[in-house]
Amino acid sequence: MDSVTADIQNSPLPTAQTLRRRNHIAYQLWRFVALNVRFVTMIFKGNH
Amino acid sequence: MAKVVILGAGISGHTAALHLRRRLGRDHEVVMVSPNSKWNWIPSNIWVGVGKMTTDEVTFALAPIYKRKGITFHQALATELHPEGSTEIDRPYVTVRYTDPERLDQVATITYDYLVNATGPKLNFAATPGLGPDANTVSVCTPGHAVQAAAALADAITKMRQGERQRLVVGVGHGTCTCEGAAFEYTFNVEHELRTAGVRDMADVTYLTNEYELGDFGVGGMVFTQNGFETTSKLWTESLFRERDVKAVVQAHVERVEPGVIHYEQLDGTKNELPFDFAMLLPPFRGVDLRAFDRAGEDITSELFLANGFMKVDANYGAKPYDEWSAADWPSTYESSRFPNVFAVGIAFAPPHQISQPRTSANGTVITPSPPRTGMPSGVMGKTAALTIIDRIEHGTSARPHEASMADMGAACVASSGMGLRRGTAASMTMYPVVPDYDRFPATGRSTKDTFGEIGLAGHWIKYMLHVLFIYKAKARPLWYLIPE
Repeated sequence: MDSVTADIQNSPLPTAQTLRRRNHIAYQLWRFVALNVRFVTMIFKGNH
Repeated sequence: MAKVVILGAGISGHTAALHLRRRLGRDHEVVMVSPNSKWNWIPSNIWVGVGKMTTDEVTFALAPIYKRKGITFHQALATELHPEGSTEIDRPYVTVRYTDPERLDQVATITYDYLVNATGPKLNFAATPGLGPDANTVSVCTPGHAVQAAAALADAITKMRQGERQRLVVGVGHGTCTCEGAAFEYTFNVEHELRTAGVRDMADVTYLTNEYELGDFGVGGMVFTQNGFETTSKLWTESLFRERDVKAVVQAHVERVEPGVIHYEQLDGTKNELPFDFAMLLPPFRGVDLRAFDRAGEDITSELFLANGFMKVDANYGAKPYDEWSAADWPSTYESSRFPNVFAVGIAFAPPHQISQPRTSANGTVITPSPPRTGMPSGVMGKTAALTIIDRIEHGTSARPHEASMADMGAACVASSGMGLRRGTAASMTMYPVVPDYDRFPATGRSTKDTFGEIGLAGHWIKYMLHVLFIYKAKARPLWYLIPE
């Protein structure tokens, strides 16, 4: 087995709860707002 | 009256044109020279490439927009740059060849006071024998390429439905390619389509890349802070590959592609073969074929451009070892190193060096991603050059240039797959700054607060929102300028 395949096989898998959260509408609505705030903050940090 | 000519109506050039037109009085002329009749929101080509969008949804005709805004439009390809004019023409000018069907192949000259070179990349499929839509692989670099890719993917899915196992390879087709983020995104779009079509168990999906390790993305990888721990983009990406059962080949330079077989070399010098039934491999980029001449007609291309065809600007191009690379090497004004009234933005400017650590194989082959400079950074550069030109027209040539270094600029990459409000998902990443600055951020070169990755439906919504917003902005609809680059 090559090293990248071994690294992939040894990497962590998301739990069932994490997978559910990734598609949970209410939680994702919150993440949508939070991600947009982080994006805009990052954009304006460059002062461009 | 001043005349500003922009070469290229991609993200950076079109952004520059709109800002120039908005801020300059009508006694000044803004001229766009672009060989393409349509504007393309390139990030959404990925969705065209899996049949989820049409080309009409990711493009629009430029001429009506420029007519409405008062921008002169020449559908033409710039071929020569004469920054000192010539013995016949006493002003700087460019020579163009029309691609407009009504004036096809006619040659003309267009004079300028200021020039913005936003010509983008030449898709250098020729660097790898057998690479590209005219040979043995598909691409998603243009809407037309993406349509071909979608058709090839549909064929593969049909074969899987008929019980024929398929090997799908997605990645980059040369050791010096850039845009690994786009290849990564297309990989997971393909994987998503296979699951949606109910044939995932009939497919082997492999990501083939020149990155040293997964998660490099041509920016040397990132360090994220998550749940109170620092983690790497490597581990984060590997986890996604494991979850979706996608294989990976890293540190690869594709030497040639024969029908059904990719031949590649890796950093350890070994040469290998990867059989495929479907392969989407991005090409390496080089600068477009634009030559420069002085007033006497002598070729000065090498004074304005690097050998790879990208234009030299206010960067430090001195050769030095990796350990001595600095954020200060990167340009901030995008002025030509030779002519202060010429700017190069977006992919057209020559980066001083890679962002990922350069590596060479045991056989001497360079296998290192080139720096990404598409999307958000491109738009910011276009606006920055436009603001400098506006100030110089209004306040004189001594006006200080505006600055926007990639070492002080963030970028977002949202790799989204699927369609619809509930059926998509995305891996969202941001980094600040794009070019690591170890003086400001000694630990990782980047702000760990503003560098993060997250997987979920929200990123998919953001990707679609960006698609709608940026096409709205590019169409110069009311208040377009309030949407940041």
